[in-house]
Amino acid sequence: MAKTTNSAVSEYDGLLAQKNKKSFKATAQVYIPLYLMMLPGFIYLICNNYLPMFGILIAFKKVNFSVGVFKSPWAGLENFRFLFETRDAYLMIRNTLLYNLVWIAMGLVIAVSIAIMMAEISERKIAKVIQPLICFPSMISAVILSYIVYAFLSTNYGFLNQILGTKINFYTKAKYWPYILTVVHFWQSAGQSSIIYMASIGGIDKAMYEAARIDGAGKWKQIVYITLPMLRPMIILMLLLSIGRIFNSDFGLFYQVTLNSGLLYSTTQTIDTYVYRALIEMNNVGMSSAASVFQAIIGFVLVLLSNLVVRKIDPDSALF
Amino acid sequence: MEKVIVKKREHIPEKGFHYTAMVILILLAIYSIVPFFLMLAISVSSEAALSKNGYQFIPQEFSLAAYKYLWAKRFTIGRCYLITILTTVVGTLVNLVITSLFAYPLSRQDFKQRNIFAFILFFTLLFNGGLTASYIVWTRIFMIKNTVWALLVPGLLMGGMNVLMVRNYYAVNIPYAIIEAARIDGANDLRIYTGIMVPLSKPVMTTIGLFAALGYWNNWTNGLYYISDSKLYSVQVYLMKLMNDIQYLKSSSNGIESAQLATMSMPTEGARMAIAMIAILPILLVYPFIQKELVKGMVVGGVKG
Repeated sequence: MAKTTNSAVSEYDGLLAQKNKKSFKATAQVYIPLYLMMLPGFIYLICNNYLPMFGILIAFKKVNFSVGVFKSPWAGLENFRFLFETRDAYLMIRNTLLYNLVWIAMGLVIAVSIAIMMAEISERKIAKVIQPLICFPSMISAVILSYIVYAFLSTNYGFLNQILGTKINFYTKAKYWPYILTVVHFWQSAGQSSIIYMASIGGIDKAMYEAARIDGAGKWKQIVYITLPMLRPMIILMLLLSIGRIFNSDFGLFYQVTLNSGLLYSTTQTIDTYVYRALIEMNNVGMSSAASVFQAIIGFVLVLLSNLVVRKIDPDSALF
Repeated sequence: MEKVIVKKREHIPEKGFHYTAMVILILLAIYSIVPFFLMLAISVSSEAALSKNGYQFIPQEFSLAAYKYLWAKRFTIGRCYLITILTTVVGTLVNLVITSLFAYPLSRQDFKQRNIFAFILFFTLLFNGGLTASYIVWTRIFMIKNTVWALLVPGLLMGGMNVLMVRNYYAVNIPYAIIEAARIDGANDLRIYTGIMVPLSKPVMTTIGLFAALGYWNNWTNGLYYISDSKLYSVQVYLMKLMNDIQYLKSSSNGIESAQLATMSMPTEGARMAIAMIAILPILLVYPFIQKELVKGMVVGGVKG
């Protein structure tokens, strides 16, 4: 009896082992289609993202395309030293940071204000017309944007020169551009950036406003004591995300909208436009890659840091 | 009695705020679209009136000369359009296919290796090699300079954020039990993907498809970096090169007038605005129908994008 049980057990074990072996093989096979499905995207990531990451080495080389990038001699930190000895380096970092800092602060106020006003009139039919209209400018490319800006600023015909009765050649006067770019930037992005706050306000419990109204709180007090505190996590999140991108700039805005005018560099050169100009116009791969790698690495560190903070404040919103 | 007074006092500033908000927003909406009317007005004004009075919001000496010029140049501009439409359609379709194909395995909870691939994908959102390295990879290794691939592939084919969006949609909205049931019924993964995942994820596919299409339609940087052959210009690239050429001529020969530019076979001021107008027109036409989807996408993509 015992013997039969034993043999039955061992037989069972054997079967189990066999099954496991089979199932291991089977699972590996089961997942082959999944690997195949990911293959196109995986290849694209390698080509589009990972090969350029290795391309960072270029910044540490004295590139000579006649012998190839990999055979080019190492330059250590030469490229970076050359870059930071130029005045360009100071200029582009200053411009990138200043524009970003001012625009982050202004953008926050503008976006939240639009969202609060939109929430106020959200019950009305006109809100359904207004929202698409204020978001429309974000649908057009920087090229079209440059045409629109040109229609306003052109020396001989520009609308602005017409109403001012002047003939200012804006494309040669650097001092006007911080203001022009600010207006253009917010004209294009204000509506879109308010959408995220509108969604958050939509999620606030209406009963809170009811309660506040019964307690005698006016609109202003409702905004200060309910809406803004409820938006706080989203505001902090958006701020941190934009701080993570503080070394980046909108290439289209700073390159195409300024019509690539060399006389404007003192107020329009950012890291992104410098990387492009050094690469294509000055044909200086070393400087271009040094600036580009500098931007990528600082950006990476800032994204990690800001995410660390986001995770502490609001773990659900953290990227990782 | 006292209560009524309090209510009344509260009521007035609330109304005031309401109407102030409405007026400001209406003005903002007008401000947002008024520049497009300036473009339109310039494109339908006669060249003589433009050089006399400059750009005005009210069309002067209504003339369709600019659009006639476009018609005369219909083969050049038509080719640009063809390239834009072709790259937008093909690019968007390929984008949707490879994005959803990549997202499906990442959403399968029984697929243990998915974490490795999710990390490979996710890392691209945090770190990139920068323009210089990308440019060298695309031009030196893949040799895409002056090929149609340059307009289709670099940076546009699959976005990490979109893959994560689709993956989340699959994981949240399509219960694993459905997939398991399908497998027991003998469906393979491709069948599950085409028969269950794709039909059940129409909302998210619509959103990322629209953003992808808009991205292709509006893309001009790939043209700037990789295209110098005018046969491959898309509408945006054509407009960009046109503006830059004119700007270059102006700066090199000091205050050149548009009449001179016209003799150099450069399109007139009105004609340029007309081309820009017809580049926006398709977006303008579909925008009322797609804006809801776009807004939805901005809410989801805004936080994590």
